[in-house]
Amino acid sequence: MKATPDIDAYRQLESSFARWRVWLCCLLVLLWLPALTFGQSAGATDVYVAGSGNDALDQYVIRQIKQSVGPAFNLTPLSSRKNLPGNRAPVLAIGPQAFSRVLQQDAKQPVLALLVKKSLVKEYEEKPGSQIGAVYKDVPLIRQALTGKAILPQATRIAMLATTESADLYEPLLEQLEAFGLEARVFITDTNEQLIPTLNRALSYGDFLLAADDEAIYNPRNIKHILLTAYRRNKILIGPNQSYVKAGSLASSYAPFPEMARQAAEALMAYRETGQFPPPGYPDQYRVQVNEQVARSLNIPLPDRDDIADTVDQILLESREGSQ
Amino acid sequence: MTKQPSPFAQPIARYLPGIFVSTLAAVVGPAAAQEAPPEFDTSTVSFEEPVPEVLTTTRLRQPKTRVPGSTTIIEGSLIRDLGIKHLYEVFRLVPGMTVNFVGSHQPVVTYHGTSHYEQRRMQVLVDGRTAHRATLSDMDWESMPVPLEMIERIEVARGPNSAAYGINAFLGTINIITRDPADTDGVEAYVSRGSRGYERTFGSLGNTGEVVDWRLTLENRQFDGFGTKRDGNEFHDGHNLNFITWDSRATLNDQANLEFRTGMADGVNQEDPSKNGGLTPIENPDIELRDYYLQSRFNYHFSENHFFHIQAAMENFRREQRYRIVAPSGVVDCLLQGTPLYASQNCFEPSGNPGDPPALFTEINSDYEDARLELEIQDTLLVNPALKLVGGAGFRKDTLRSETYFNGTVDNYQSRYFGNMEYSPWNWLTLNVGGNWERTSTTDDSYFSPRVASNFVFNDSQALRFVYSEAVRTPDPFEQDPDYGYTLRNVSPDEFSELEGFRLTMADINPYPAQTTLGEDLEEENITSYEISYFGQFQMEEALLYLEVRGFRDELRDMIGGVIKLRDWTLANSLSANQQGFEIEAMLEYPATTLRASYAYLDQDTWYTGDPILDENGNVDTKEQKEQAELLERMSVTHSGSLAIIRDLPWTMKASAAYYWADQFQRLNEQFERIDGRLSKQFFGPKYNAELALTIQHYLNRDPEMGRDDNIDHHNQFFVEAAVRF
Repeated sequence: MKATPDIDAYRQLESSFARWRVWLCCLLVLLWLPALTFGQSAGATDVYVAGSGNDALDQYVIRQIKQSVGPAFNLTPLSSRKNLPGNRAPVLAIGPQAFSRVLQQDAKQPVLALLVKKSLVKEYEEKPGSQIGAVYKDVPLIRQALTGKAILPQATRIAMLATTESADLYEPLLEQLEAFGLEARVFITDTNEQLIPTLNRALSYGDFLLAADDEAIYNPRNIKHILLTAYRRNKILIGPNQSYVKAGSLASSYAPFPEMARQAAEALMAYRETGQFPPPGYPDQYRVQVNEQVARSLNIPLPDRDDIADTVDQILLESREGSQ
Repeated sequence: MTKQPSPFAQPIARYLPGIFVSTLAAVVGPAAAQEAPPEFDTSTVSFEEPVPEVLTTTRLRQPKTRVPGSTTIIEGSLIRDLGIKHLYEVFRLVPGMTVNFVGSHQPVVTYHGTSHYEQRRMQVLVDGRTAHRATLSDMDWESMPVPLEMIERIEVARGPNSAAYGINAFLGTINIITRDPADTDGVEAYVSRGSRGYERTFGSLGNTGEVVDWRLTLENRQFDGFGTKRDGNEFHDGHNLNFITWDSRATLNDQANLEFRTGMADGVNQEDPSKNGGLTPIENPDIELRDYYLQSRFNYHFSENHFFHIQAAMENFRREQRYRIVAPSGVVDCLLQGTPLYASQNCFEPSGNPGDPPALFTEINSDYEDARLELEIQDTLLVNPALKLVGGAGFRKDTLRSETYFNGTVDNYQSRYFGNMEYSPWNWLTLNVGGNWERTSTTDDSYFSPRVASNFVFNDSQALRFVYSEAVRTPDPFEQDPDYGYTLRNVSPDEFSELEGFRLTMADINPYPAQTTLGEDLEEENITSYEISYFGQFQMEEALLYLEVRGFRDELRDMIGGVIKLRDWTLANSLSANQQGFEIEAMLEYPATTLRASYAYLDQDTWYTGDPILDENGNVDTKEQKEQAELLERMSVTHSGSLAIIRDLPWTMKASAAYYWADQFQRLNEQFERIDGRLSKQFFGPKYNAELALTIQHYLNRDPEMGRDDNIDHHNQFFVEAAVRF
């Protein structure tokens, strides 16, 4: 059977195009090669990065960690649409969504979580077979309480607002405070109607109001009422984080990001050596963010924010040495 | 043959530029990133909804280092912790202020004295609404619809503040701020009982919502006043008053909200018959009062840096005081014949006419109704962080209806324009330039009151202030244009019915009307004030220290002195005064302990500047002139102050003690000294707070300082309190 000229011509064209495609692919592979191998060294550990969705943040995190770990690790971004690598290589999860997403796909996936709260990590940590490392984003409440004390040295009583469910957040703190000459009380509010009356009662008890990272109470909807009522009573709010300091909270401790990245890098190195992440924990170093405008308006003489952080560190250090 | 396009050619051609760019990026990308790492602000990292900025510049109060003058701020919690039982007693904590009583336990609060009966020279505001009653230049502290539980704070601007508050803010301004309707406590109940028949019962109910925040309060206040008079009789000077108030705010949108407040006071203020001037009541001339107010304020924010409010307030004070008096029947003949009563002793003897009863009985009244309508608009523009402009206008109409004081109705109109510029060219300097232009129908004249202040600020925590201010006080309508006379009603016995409806005026009493000043026009009073003050706040290792020292010199000119009596009227711009001194206010907050101290030294020199007062022989009566000058100093004391301590105790108990002292009121050369002690137990439950407290007031000196009958029968006074909130 003889092929028609048209069909022959088409086949010829297809054949030549196929060859051209092969060359093109080879060229691409050659061109991509240096990029793919850039920064790699022999024996480097693969780490996949589950991003937060905020590109600028993700790049910043990767860059900070690369600076700490050097060429020992290959940090490869993981597309949110793709499945996890089948080899259970460790994943660096940035933020709560990435962290949850990874563990929902595979609860046994080794994950190092960054910018996540302790409460979220605890949820997954309890599941069997979990291999979780984490650098907590939230600040230990005892540190926040002492931040308030460093600003108001005369303070002895701390008031806290919580829902019935979130009151547990403050439980460990209540036991810790006595050693620092402070006492505290949790005031429970479970409905919107109870919020302000309970806050009023809390403010009449406490020298200041201490906030944990508790979204049930401290959220964009409630914060206006809480801050305005406390301000009218000349009482200050400490915590829960930097965003709320911008809103009008007087101060909050926070871990500087390079410190969190350094700790994450240490966890990766530990994983490389032992095959396991160290237990999740808080960063070792903190700084303090203050709202100078609010302090001035309330006639509160504010120490330098580095001095506040140093004072808190000193108190905690003395306490640890004392207990040893 | 037409060449068919390849099914692949077009897509690949389309992909090529992308592939090239991505390839190039892959090759050069890492290097480029290393050269110029993108900046990233980690403080903004948040995976939750953005948090709105709440305490913005517009919502923040001015720090004390930037305030143009000395201001004392008394927190509501301090008032309650010290066990203060009456609103007026709070002002004993303010340096330079004295509190005492005139008449039948009528509280008088002054700053630097210059008040011998009425409280003429201070502006008082409650939530921006004028509480000082300009028509009679006086205050009625006992009937103020301000429950102590609802006080958020009291700000007392010491020194003339007419530039901001108008012509009544002559010596100082009291600004009472009640708790915001959004800060309602759900349900609150409070009961207190104590010595001298003290009973106070208070309840409030409120709620907050997305749109409306509201609070309703009810209060009953009862008090017996002073103890036993010199004559051995009980002083009839107590009160039994009921109050209801409503506070609410409707949030219309992010930019606008509307506040609405209303309230009513109702009850009886007892008056002792012996404190009623020259008249002789045969029954208690008690005052039945019924006051009400309506206040609305519309707040609108054009932007974060530009906002304004419009406020309208209507207030009505009604006093009904009707009582029967007795007079010798000789009065009847004198009145009918046109003989001034004090022209002949016979007027005060029983009538010689055969058959005439020995005495005349009649009812008189001192009723009045004082209505006020106020409108104010104020605009604030923050041009930049260093420059703030405030401007506004106000209008006020006062209407006083009284048969006795005006023989009808008197209207008084005031309009004003005010402005202030606050400029901080550098962080260490804040300049304030403000002024108030005001016109009043009382004198048919207009006045300008300026104020200039410069605050030199060190480290954001200390300030040295220099303040210059001028202010005026215009006479009130009763001082300026009275038509004073008592109308006789229900005259008995029938023999004297001819006097039914007779209006008894000064002409019927005083044979020497030329020696009075009734009918003469009064001018405005003037003050020029200089202040140098220092404010500092210090954080110590375990404490915060606040210290404010105010040095002042005031020149008061054309002061209105003299007396207001139906028999005698000697009001005139006849006095001048120079005063200087210093005041200290300090607070030290230790862990669980707060110490507070205030002290004031006042050197006041008052002299007579009016027309010479002549004695019977036509010589200048220097003694009388001196007495008139001294009237102005009746409540001026050289030294005064307070000390207070509040301490948290274990088991959520709290103790406080306060010592109040005012040295030698000139009237009787006696000093006020009292020590208060309070012990309370607080209960903080999961759904409620409660408190039980015992307060003891110990009067170190029981001798009266002002009124000779103002006796405290027992050194120690006891009070118990119980409160619950849920």
